[in-house]
Amino acid sequence: MIDLVWLIPLLPFIGFLINGLGRNVLPKPLIGTIASLAVIGSFAISLSIFLTFDAAQPQVIHLFDWINVGSLSIPFAFQIDQLSIMMLLIITGIGSLIHIYSAGYMSHDTGFGKFFAYLNLFVFFMLLLVMGSNYVIMFIGWEGVGLCSYLLIGFWYSNGAYADAAKKAFIMNRIGDLGFLLGVFLIISTFGSVSFTEIFPKAAGMVSGDATLILITILLFIGATGKSAQLPLFTWLPDAMAGPTPVSALIHAATMVTAGIYMIARSNILFALSPVTLDIIAVIGLLTAVVAAFIALTQTDIKKVLAYSTVSQLGYMFLGLGVGAFTGAFFHVLTHAFFKALLFLGAGSVIHAMSNEQDMRNMGGLRKKLPITFLTMLIGTIAIAGLPPFAGFFSKDEILAHVYEHNKLLWIIGLFGAFLTAAYMFRMMFLTFWGNFRGTEDQKHHLHESPVSMTFPLIVLAILSIVGGFMGVPHALGGHHWLNEYLSPVLAATNNILPALSLDHATEYMLMGISVGGVIISIIIAYVKYVSKGYVPKEEELQSGISKLSYNKLYLDELYTAIIQKPLDALSAFFFKVVDKSGIDGLVNGLGKVSIEASKTLRLLQTGNVGFYIFAMVIGIVAVLVYSFIII
Amino acid sequence: MSLFYVVAFLSIIFALLVIFTKNPVHSVLYLIATFFTFTIHYIILNAQFLAVVNFIVYMGAIMVLFLFVLMLMNLNTDTEPMKSTLLKVVGAIAGGCLLVTLVGSMKTLSSASTTAMDNTGIGLVENLGKVLFSDFLLPFELSSILLLAAMVGAVLLAKKDNKTA
Amino acid sequence: MSTLIVISILAIVVLYLGLFKAKQALLPISVLGLVAALALAIMEWNSNAAPIFSGMMHFDNFAVAFSSICIITTILVFLLSKNYFEKISDNVAEYYTLILFALSGIIVMVSYHNLSMLFVGLEIMSVSLYILAGIKRKDFASNEAALKYFLMGAFSTGFLLFGIALIYGASKSFDLAVIAQYVIDRPTGIDPIFYVGLVLMIVGLCFKVGAAPFHFWTPDVYEGAPTLITAFMSTVVKIAGFAAFLRLFSICFAPLQDFWMPTLLVITILTLFVGNITALYQTNFKRMLAFSSISHAGYMLFAIVALGAASTNAIFIYAAAYAVSSITAFAVLMLVKAKTGSENFEDFNGLAKSNPFLAFALTVAMLSFAGIPLTAGFIGKFFVFNAALAQYHTWLVAIAVVNAIIGVFYYFKVIVAMYFKDNQTKQIATPAYFNFVLGVSLIITLVLGIYPSFITNLF
Repeated sequence: MIDLVWLIPLLPFIGFLINGLGRNVLPKPLIGTIASLAVIGSFAISLSIFLTFDAAQPQVIHLFDWINVGSLSIPFAFQIDQLSIMMLLIITGIGSLIHIYSAGYMSHDTGFGKFFAYLNLFVFFMLLLVMGSNYVIMFIGWEGVGLCSYLLIGFWYSNGAYADAAKKAFIMNRIGDLGFLLGVFLIISTFGSVSFTEIFPKAAGMVSGDATLILITILLFIGATGKSAQLPLFTWLPDAMAGPTPVSALIHAATMVTAGIYMIARSNILFALSPVTLDIIAVIGLLTAVVAAFIALTQTDIKKVLAYSTVSQLGYMFLGLGVGAFTGAFFHVLTHAFFKALLFLGAGSVIHAMSNEQDMRNMGGLRKKLPITFLTMLIGTIAIAGLPPFAGFFSKDEILAHVYEHNKLLWIIGLFGAFLTAAYMFRMMFLTFWGNFRGTEDQKHHLHESPVSMTFPLIVLAILSIVGGFMGVPHALGGHHWLNEYLSPVLAATNNILPALSLDHATEYMLMGISVGGVIISIIIAYVKYVSKGYVPKEEELQSGISKLSYNKLYLDELYTAIIQKPLDALSAFFFKVVDKSGIDGLVNGLGKVSIEASKTLRLLQTGNVGFYIFAMVIGIVAVLVYSFIII
Repeated sequence: MSLFYVVAFLSIIFALLVIFTKNPVHSVLYLIATFFTFTIHYIILNAQFLAVVNFIVYMGAIMVLFLFVLMLMNLNTDTEPMKSTLLKVVGAIAGGCLLVTLVGSMKTLSSASTTAMDNTGIGLVENLGKVLFSDFLLPFELSSILLLAAMVGAVLLAKKDNKTA
Repeated sequence: MSTLIVISILAIVVLYLGLFKAKQALLPISVLGLVAALALAIMEWNSNAAPIFSGMMHFDNFAVAFSSICIITTILVFLLSKNYFEKISDNVAEYYTLILFALSGIIVMVSYHNLSMLFVGLEIMSVSLYILAGIKRKDFASNEAALKYFLMGAFSTGFLLFGIALIYGASKSFDLAVIAQYVIDRPTGIDPIFYVGLVLMIVGLCFKVGAAPFHFWTPDVYEGAPTLITAFMSTVVKIAGFAAFLRLFSICFAPLQDFWMPTLLVITILTLFVGNITALYQTNFKRMLAFSSISHAGYMLFAIVALGAASTNAIFIYAAAYAVSSITAFAVLMLVKAKTGSENFEDFNGLAKSNPFLAFALTVAMLSFAGIPLTAGFIGKFFVFNAALAQYHTWLVAIAVVNAIIGVFYYFKVIVAMYFKDNQTKQIATPAYFNFVLGVSLIITLVLGIYPSFITNLF
């Protein structure tokens, strides 16, 4: 079966070609079917590989030699091991569900064909990212998913703000990519290779705390902060909610944003040997988790709440990585993919029913009108809040247990963030589904439960959100943590370096008790505020006190504009005005001489220009000579 | 050697006059004088052919052509295009800087050893002809393309064209 | 050598065709002649040719590779010229002739083995270009471009010539092999004027390739010249300039790397920043391309700064990627300009709706410029950076990567305009020739991006 592995990315790519070329020709149902079948086919192959794969060593499937420069050889090859198989299942599995859902959700959209073409292309690149057997192939996927994300965020481009959001996402991602690319170049010059199977054994022989390794891992982590929306580069993700909701579910919740975690988990040995980097990751992850949760508390747009919640959960994953809980972080990737995709799709279903209304202040009381959506979303919310035995409980608990052992202060802050999570998620649920309907008559009249193609994925994801956690039941609760054993070949080298979790069961029970208790209290507070008292946030209240800070996203966007964008614009304007438009404007006007007679201006402009250029050249030559002979 | 200094001094004086004089016709006349001093340089260097070519072609043909064009355009009065003193100063500073750094560069790198010519007769017509038609045959022939391109271009730019574009 | 002869004769044949008013035959014959020249060039591959004509010219693999890429790009430019010159002037044949003359100069520039040949080749190319830049005689901008180009070109040629003269003064030869031997024979005690000559040659060559601070002519000339000529200048001419630059430095001056590398390093960094940052602000697409060409010159200079075994390959791949993407960009620009009459970013609004293929081709070209993987541009950048890393210029690579990211901003402006902005424009009619050129460029860009092994191991 493993010989067919090249089919996994190829199928979505064929889907992309067919839908891309035939987007205006083929009928909509056919487009939806082709796109979905392509991903389902990949899922089937992934599943069969999952069932048959039992090698302890990663299998590298060599397709062709891509780049050969001197001693450096970069093959176009795929690597199949436990880590990539799990990612394949998530991408193709959840991808299939979201494709099916989109067929219903996007059915009225004129860009139907284009949408599915992009979606298939995204799946293709995402698969390249996780299957690549070296950093360069991974980088191709990395850039490709960024591109598709850009195209899909700006999908409804007739809205100018959406196009800006797309651009912001792409540019922030590129800043991260800068780090990644430099990291890859540094890997090339350090190890003379980019293939995982060659680098990791070499790295395992290095000493812990090696300066080069620390630099490499920091650069890679910068790459991860861009793609996985961590401080300081997370502001693009909430804006990315401009895209259609299935896109938010697939790209900005379940798959692409976890690429950073995948990359670090893939390079676990490099990070395990760089304790400094791990500490940085832990702190950044924790800060992101808490800051995003804080912002989510006051958002009124249902998708924005989920977006900040995603950022916050990604922060937990990084926190997990930072304290060495690679399995725990990856576990959270899996469970988060289930419940966050579910929540986004549920939110999409709500938005669909509400005729594209996203503001929760205009919702309320929807639980009777949308029973399936309500129930499934409730399951998702419980899962993310971390109540047992739902999926989020196990993964979050595992991360927090590691954090507790690592550093008590981090644990307290992390726990606080977890309580915030429960609070804002239930706030969202209460505002949306409880109370009285606050929308317009027109919207009320229009309310309806979504079609089967949309509710079916919700139900499947809800089931997964319930049972997904059982793949990692800790020993304390009588399980044997299947995921941990499954991933152990990938993490073998790291497990030799980093200490295993050594909490006794009593401490674990205490940690679980505290977190569950706190979550329940948070839910009760939210219930009292939003259901019993029927509170609905108003614009002016959000603009006062501490909620002002939260509502305005801590003014991070404004801060970035002020410290990065403005100086760059100014510099560019300077070059444009002074150097480029120089000629007479820069030289003569700039030095105070005003052109004398209008009739002669034209002529003056010409000679003045060339004169200035030659002057600048001469200065350049002088500078070169001085630099070559006198300074050096 | 003293002859060299005298001629070199004259070259510089005439070259400066080309720039400083206001009347374009005078300017061209000074240029001719400058070229004449160059011819003397070539003779001092025993480069007969260059001297003759410089004398006949540059001074005799090209500069006279210049002069005729200037006269036909009736530019013999002070019609120097308006240039601000600022530009002049800037130009002088830039040129001066270049000169100083060039000289300075040579100085920094210790003084150059004077290279004696291996073959003092290299500039004679016979020798030059031999080199040009043996070793340097290819560049010599390729120059024809250069000339042809320039000719085609000159005709193209000067020829009347009915299309407006 | 036979390539050079074929191109020169072709130019004269075309001139005669013009005389006999055989206008329809001009384009087919030019293209066929170039294909023949290309075939002759490729036949020389691996023939281990020795320098010919008393060491004037050496048609080695380097020359074959760069002549081929220049000829192919010229063919693409010619295909875009269908009906282009006719609109400008009656004397169409002369324009083809001049481009072919320029190309013959370029062939000399990539295969020279003697500094006198370098100079002659450079002048043949430059003189033809001065005229070509000004062929729109009634257009003020075109005249201005030609005059500026001529004045500044003459100025810089003076420096180049002075440099050659000083190097001759020290080494007593124009021959590259002799100069190289001169350098090798004297680990210390090279005549000081040799160094000054070297720096002056750097200045002259940097002007020709448009590197900062000698780039001032580029934007004005590129903007003012007719678009087709700009396409020719920013691709073929620029590549030839780099080939000549690299050839001189790798053969003659490699042992002196410690001396010239810091200077060139500063020039490279300056070029990258000036090109990229100024391009950010442009609203005119053609002017943006001019500045982007400056920044690409910066990337290619990289490979010369980090002169080594991999440099030739790196520049070759970068040049190939850059050439095809530029041709695409200019081709689309010509079509858009013919339609709207201007060259601003807004003119591209809604192109994705009206002409999906044009928009797609241009998008791929822009992605390639920006160095996004799976396009040829990424491979080019990868090789150039890798060559630099091989020489441990890690922080230089860091600067370049920062610049590559700045580049994304303005390349994406076009994509945003085409895909994310609406405009009620009718479809632009694309002639078959254009579709062919765009298709070929697109395929080359993607094939090189996905399977670059074709050309990565040529040298």
